[in-house]
Amino acid sequence: MAVQRSDAELARDARSGSEAAYRELVARYATPAVNFTHRFVHDRALAEDLAQEGFLRVYQRLNTYDPDRKFSSWFFQVLRNVTIDYLRVNRLPTASLDALQEGGHQAAAVDRESASPEELAGRGELASAIGAALSRIRPDYREVVVLRYQEGLTQPEIAEILGLPAGTVKTYLHRARKELAEILTAQGWGPGATEPTAGKAV
Amino acid sequence: MDRKQLDAWLMAEQGGEEDAADAALAHLFAAVPKVQPRSAFVEQVVVTAWRWRVRRRRLLAGAWTAAAALIIAGAAITYFASPLLGGSAVRAIAFLTGHTVPWLIAYASVALHGWLTLGHVGAVVASALITPGRVAVVVGVELLGILAFYALHRIASAERFGDAQV
Repeated sequence: MAVQRSDAELARDARSGSEAAYRELVARYATPAVNFTHRFVHDRALAEDLAQEGFLRVYQRLNTYDPDRKFSSWFFQVLRNVTIDYLRVNRLPTASLDALQEGGHQAAAVDRESASPEELAGRGELASAIGAALSRIRPDYREVVVLRYQEGLTQPEIAEILGLPAGTVKTYLHRARKELAEILTAQGWGPGATEPTAGKAV
Repeated sequence: MDRKQLDAWLMAEQGGEEDAADAALAHLFAAVPKVQPRSAFVEQVVVTAWRWRVRRRRLLAGAWTAAAALIIAGAAITYFASPLLGGSAVRAIAFLTGHTVPWLIAYASVALHGWLTLGHVGAVVASALITPGRVAVVVGVELLGILAFYALHRIASAERFGDAQV
């Protein structure tokens, strides 16, 4: 059985000129990168463009990567900078539910074999509601939520990426969760609710 | 993703259970469908990066070539023009000494018009050193130097800002 090489090993080989190593790194981080940027620009094509720019910048700066540091932290730091640079120049409107659905949230990765049509519709609606709620909270809150819950990073890793104290990240997460919960509850997604309105309007 | 996961998170949030809410939301997000990049995305990224790599190598090769040419040109100028430059230097010193020292002593003895003295010295130095040929050589070397600096500046910019168009 082949042993999977670590990100740091792949980065080292890519820096030495191995196209295969770089390709493997890109394949590993393609989906997380596109999902990360998509949370901020709400457009799949644009998200892919930003992710591509992030990968290119990573390649150009591989010589500055410290192998003692976790690659994913470094990668998301670079990707975040690319996204921020773009958002500074181009101010984007908040995404609508329709845009989120067109962006592929409904279609992707839903276990269609084990769920009834009603369940599938409910799941898609809930995913869209969460995406829409996420797009309504403060961008710096959204950032920590995406890194923590979507990308599965730890609080110290998020603090390193964002250049914030660990306590601030914890506070941001706490407030972000509260805001998300309030938005979803106000839309009828609270415990015991039977007819949520989140899928209808934002 | 189902309503039970959502309800578990919202109840933990309402109950102020920090760790439980954190875990429940992580569980909920794990079930949120991901946006999948196009199938050609990875290939496109790799091709773009490798094009940049080729361009950067060409640019570096160009910069090294220009720097080497500059060094060779400088060495050639020094080697072939050194007798001429050496003789010119001796003549310039003799000319300066012969013209300025008596003149300087005469004026210093009078101790008048200091600025005028300085102006005369400058005019003599300029007339001794500046010839069209030397000016052309100096300007040529300066232009080559500027070109080399420009190439290095482009390389540095590409490194710093990740400009794929370099």
